[in-house]
Amino acid sequence: MFTTLYRLIKTGFTNFLRNGWLSLASTIIMTLTLFIISIFLIGNIVLNQGIQAIQDKIDISVYLNDNIKGQTVLDLQKELSDNQDVKKVRYVSKDEAKQKYQEKFKNNPQLRESLDTSGENPLPASLEIKAYDPQKYNSLLPVFEKEKYKPIVRKVSYKDNKETIDRLVKLTQFIKTVGWSVAIFLMATSLIIIYNTIRTAIYTHKNEIEIMKLVGANPWFIKGPFLVEGIMYGVFGTIAALTALYILLKLLVNFLNSYFDTGDIGNNVFGFLLQNLGSLIVLMLGVGIAIGVTSSFIAIRKYLKKS
Amino acid sequence: MIYLEGVTKIYDKSSKKALDNISVHIKPKEFVIFVGLSGAGKSTLTKLITHEEEQTSGKITVGGIDYSKLKKKDVPYLRRKIGVVFQDFKLLTKKTVYENIAYALEVAGISNKTIRSRVPQILKMVGLENKGKDFPNMLSGGEKQRVAIARALIHDPKILIADEPTGNLDPKNAWEIIDLLLKVNEYGTTVILTTHNKEIVNTLKKRVITLKNGKLIKDQEVGRYTLQ
Repeated sequence: MFTTLYRLIKTGFTNFLRNGWLSLASTIIMTLTLFIISIFLIGNIVLNQGIQAIQDKIDISVYLNDNIKGQTVLDLQKELSDNQDVKKVRYVSKDEAKQKYQEKFKNNPQLRESLDTSGENPLPASLEIKAYDPQKYNSLLPVFEKEKYKPIVRKVSYKDNKETIDRLVKLTQFIKTVGWSVAIFLMATSLIIIYNTIRTAIYTHKNEIEIMKLVGANPWFIKGPFLVEGIMYGVFGTIAALTALYILLKLLVNFLNSYFDTGDIGNNVFGFLLQNLGSLIVLMLGVGIAIGVTSSFIAIRKYLKKS
Repeated sequence: MIYLEGVTKIYDKSSKKALDNISVHIKPKEFVIFVGLSGAGKSTLTKLITHEEEQTSGKITVGGIDYSKLKKKDVPYLRRKIGVVFQDFKLLTKKTVYENIAYALEVAGISNKTIRSRVPQILKMVGLENKGKDFPNMLSGGEKQRVAIARALIHDPKILIADEPTGNLDPKNAWEIIDLLLKVNEYGTTVILTTHNKEIVNTLKKRVITLKNGKLIKDQEVGRYTLQ
């Protein structure tokens, strides 16, 4: 058993080295495939983080009438907190609202002073609500329409911002859809190319496969070395793709940092790569080996059908 | 040893019979020559015996194994019992001479120790003891055929099939190969030789079975080449 396994692996290695050009061509195609996949994977993660950052900025405020019973506000706050779509509810008192206003307009004394001259604080208390998904804000509206809460709710900011929120939601969904569509299209194209490259490599061995059958090799003894070669395309493809990715991002860091002189976008992307290097290696190795072995397996099956 | 009873072979997409109702019995340790012009059915006959092809009708029994009952998974084991030599040598070009022969043992799960002792022995027997590290493209036609014979014999098979083994060789090399086959036969292996080389057939004075258009037209104990 172990002798056979050792022989299959050894033959696979020897074939890989002796079929120099074909092995090189298959490995290059595999490298390109894995490179494209990893670029899109990282691109998608960065994009999703960006979208998440935008979505985190979206919230709604429920402005409350003055001189209302505290218990009703607490009830409303609890009801919202218990809602599974709601991430966070925060009560903003009249004083805090004033403080925020002054902070916001600290460079505009006219607007800031207009609040002081009126004597009384005209700003209402409010509940700031953040949902997990901006699309869910719509479903919260009936809560504020309840008879119990009608007297305390002065205004819901969502109604004013609805158009902007909807537009942002649509935009992020569009970006996600386009991103994934392009990624899937490129991955599918790469898979077809790598499968055809491996198929061509195996086609050149079809006479050898015939001979192997004639000297009494069973199907697994014939298949084994080709599968080992498939694994090697995956392993070397991963090493080459990761090296290329590292060099590209290293160059990109300097470019992005100098292009956006205030930000550190480049460092973030590079940091992300280093932080997730382990997972990325495992993922790329897994994908590379799976593609190599599956392509070899499908391509060789044709030649082993007949005894 | 080998029984063919009313064997007919028609290839897919063809209405012509490649073999037509052939019945032959080959005894153990016999040296039999199948003679026929191109397309007579010689190669089809050898392919049926090695189970590369299946008969359309009739019965084939080799070494007690009825081919109609042979399962696909058992075919590799059958092939290890029948040595085959081809006109085009069919060597693995990416493997050295040594590896080509060792491969036939490796597929049967033979230990490395046994391989290391048996391969040099067989290389010596075919006169290639110094060519083990060469690749097939470095050898002459005669040497390639000797490697093929060494590979065919490495399992010590009861049957050796040589399908036009001298077809690509000059007369000197051709006779060297024939001498090797005679030696193998002397050691007790049944040899089936297919050829259309008149000189070889007439010199050997062995059993000759003549095929023409897929039909068996003559079976002589000590035969001669009679085709025009």
